[in-house]
Amino acid sequence: MTTEAEQAFIARKAAKREGRRGMQEEKAILGMTSLMDAITIIVTYLLKNYGSDPVVIAPTQGQKVPLSKADTPIQDGVPIYVSERAITFAEKRVVQMDETGQIDPAALQGHLIGPLYDLLAEEADKAKQMSEGKGEEWEGRIILVGDQNLKFSVLVDVMYTAGRAEFREYAFCVVQQNG
Amino acid sequence: MGKKFEEEEIEANLLPVMNIMLLLIPALLLAMEIARMAAIAVSPPKFAATADQKQDEKQEKPLNLKVFIMEDGYRVSASGQQAGAEAGKSADSNSPTIALAKPGTPLDDYDRYDYASLGSEARKYKDLFPHETVVTISAENSIPMQVLINTMDAMRGLDCKMMGAMTAGEEVPPECMFWQAIVEAGAG
Repeated sequence: MTTEAEQAFIARKAAKREGRRGMQEEKAILGMTSLMDAITIIVTYLLKNYGSDPVVIAPTQGQKVPLSKADTPIQDGVPIYVSERAITFAEKRVVQMDETGQIDPAALQGHLIGPLYDLLAEEADKAKQMSEGKGEEWEGRIILVGDQNLKFSVLVDVMYTAGRAEFREYAFCVVQQNG
Repeated sequence: MGKKFEEEEIEANLLPVMNIMLLLIPALLLAMEIARMAAIAVSPPKFAATADQKQDEKQEKPLNLKVFIMEDGYRVSASGQQAGAEAGKSADSNSPTIALAKPGTPLDDYDRYDYASLGSEARKYKDLFPHETVVTISAENSIPMQVLINTMDAMRGLDCKMMGAMTAGEEVPPECMFWQAIVEAGAG
């Protein structure tokens, strides 16, 4: 038992089905323009963020960079990574530390860290030549990326060595604390 | 008679561009800094004063503020006189000027030092010498770098914001006390 309304509905459906039989299937096209816009904006934002830092600081494995309230941005310079395990410069492990976190005595001559000095002096020569070529004054800035638990004596030795290699400006890299 | 060409509408194939863009996103995200880095400018360690520096000292008398970080606290001195030393003595070798906030704690407990008291001491000196900005900081060999950084923060002033002064050439705000740190080896 069907009502008149139900019969009318079934009739309309049947008529629609009849009409569709003769039609070709439409091909769906994926709209790429809006997706492209969104991705272009994301890539531009990321590229801008990436390009605004003069130096990319990538601490070595297990290194805990000290925290500070300082808000001064990092200026261009040569980073030296000093962790409790090793001193790394230009992606090379230059000096190993002993179990107590002290520099291997074989690499030390007084306060001077021999292998690090050689690399820094070479880097300083290169940087000076490049600056001369550009007609700029060489700043000679070292960015010391230390570790929270790094001993003061090691820090002083690294700074002394950089000073001997003619680097004149020093900056401690820190992780900015909120507040 | 030239042939007539019908203009065809060619749709640009965006898929290769999209592929590159999608690869760029994770690559850039990986290269991005997760933590916000900052820098503290320091002057190099001094092992001996040069002849020029000695001459300058004769001409004008600077505050010559020094903070020595010891395992049992801070020794603070100005113009060669340790604050809180026994009468008639320039330095007191037995007791620090500012004792530890948490005595008996290990060296890697960075909150063992009384940074608040050090900040108050710095404020007293700053009020007496408002134009002075230099502090010489030294430490015992075993002192961790985080303690040195916290000490610099306390001497600079916890509310000190140097961003404007460093980047936009603005004046250093009055909250900033001793923001030029010289790291000296084995002094005290």
